[in-house]
Amino acid sequence: MAPVSQTKEMPAAVRALPALSVRKVRKLYNELEAIKNVSLEVAQNEFVSLLGPSGCGKSTLLTMIAGLLKQTEGEISINGTPVTGPRPEIGMVFQQPVLLPWRTILDNVLFPVELLKLPRDKYVPRAMELLAMAKIDDFAGSLPRQLSGGMRQRASICRALVHDPAILLMDEPFSALDALTRDEMGVELLRIWQANRKTVVFVTHSIREAAFLSDRVVVMGRRPATIVEEMTIDLPRPRQISLTEDENFNRYVRALRKAIEASHGH
Amino acid sequence: MGTKGRRFAADIAGPAAISIGMIVLWEVIVRALHIRSIILPPPSEIIMAMVDRRDLLLTHLWPSLYLTVLGFALSVVGGVAVAILITYSAALRKGFYPIIIVSQVIPKISIAPLFIVWFGTGTMSSLLLAFLIAFFPMTINSALGFQSIDEDIARMARTFMASDWQVFWKIRMPNALPYIFSGMKISITLAIIGVIVSEFVASQEGIGYLIKLAGGLLDTPLMMAAITVLSIAGLILYGLIAHFERRVVYWQSSSDISGSGGG
Repeated sequence: MAPVSQTKEMPAAVRALPALSVRKVRKLYNELEAIKNVSLEVAQNEFVSLLGPSGCGKSTLLTMIAGLLKQTEGEISINGTPVTGPRPEIGMVFQQPVLLPWRTILDNVLFPVELLKLPRDKYVPRAMELLAMAKIDDFAGSLPRQLSGGMRQRASICRALVHDPAILLMDEPFSALDALTRDEMGVELLRIWQANRKTVVFVTHSIREAAFLSDRVVVMGRRPATIVEEMTIDLPRPRQISLTEDENFNRYVRALRKAIEASHGH
Repeated sequence: MGTKGRRFAADIAGPAAISIGMIVLWEVIVRALHIRSIILPPPSEIIMAMVDRRDLLLTHLWPSLYLTVLGFALSVVGGVAVAILITYSAALRKGFYPIIIVSQVIPKISIAPLFIVWFGTGTMSSLLLAFLIAFFPMTINSALGFQSIDEDIARMARTFMASDWQVFWKIRMPNALPYIFSGMKISITLAIIGVIVSEFVASQEGIGYLIKLAGGLLDTPLMMAAITVLSIAGLILYGLIAHFERRVVYWQSSSDISGSGGG
């Protein structure tokens, strides 16, 4: 079965309101056009990757979805409500773990709960559950510096999920890790996601990572960023690392690479 | 723990051996060359003076110690307060920073006689000089701590909707603590200098006064005993701050500094 690139609406989007809707968004930095006319819909519980070369504006788009940056034109809405600033229904994972060095892992995970003034006691069991799922519950009382880079990033994923946000935004979360840890983290992320179904927008410049993780990959071209290709990854879940040796998987990888190379052409 | 103890012993053993060696050498040279005690008393005589005149030394130590600690405490409170103000007010920052920088260049000790003119020869002059000298490094260090927030951390906090108040208490304050402690370690030393200099210039009590008095009487053993007592007091104050620092800033262990933090 050959990968099909498609621009049609997702069936899920018909059933329910899209979790995320980006309509004709444009971003200018002074006179410089960073993002040009991007429209995108992400269905409830869909895992979508934004794939593109470094500095193509995909992180900028994610920052605007998080409400940290205002678009110049167009509209972004989450569950039908326009984004005007940071919102509690967003959980974010950054390139670096960004843990507070003076807090234990558990207290770091509970940080959003504290900031949102939610009852801490009620969220401790959930935080511990997430840590157990990420296999770092033994380190709940440890300080970040006592953990490896991969473990810290897992803790930051737990932090992004602790307040049960509707949308998880991930900004190249594994790019600072070594290749082996990176593959492992992908599998871990999918396992956590399987148990905590959320809408995920995952920014990456790794073609394999995008294909392995996503329901759908959105390929973005160089500045000014536009969407050059959308591809549904029709591979069975749950996915294991052995999938990367599968011929179907590699066909998607090749098709995505071709789409990126084509976008360099113009 | 065992490794830690051994490393500690190794860290202590070297300097201790060298110090004891130097003291012994000092004793030997002074005795061998028959140097007069008025020029350079041997360590044994200084220790004798410390024991024999402990009442006199302690009588003069307390006021100096009291003023040092008080001046230091005021500089910590004042320095941190001003640091917070200039962190949050751009206008104050612009107004204060040049003054702070310029005041770094002025040898503040030279103001001591002026303080005597203004506040008399009593404790007020000593206290204010201690405060003034200790205040600036306290302010600069604290301000640096409040302002040097990691950009990623600030972004993370904004994503999770942190209020300014939360950012201050949950991020800026803990972030500033290591800086505040390094400021305190500088300031305590400077506060001692402030008090002693002020006592040199005009005072009827205090270790600074005693050192000057002993000098006038050519009682060099007493003078050096006073200097030794003062040094010990300074070391203890510094040690106390370092001790609290390890307690409060627990996330920055000494193993981080030596770069051998395993695990």
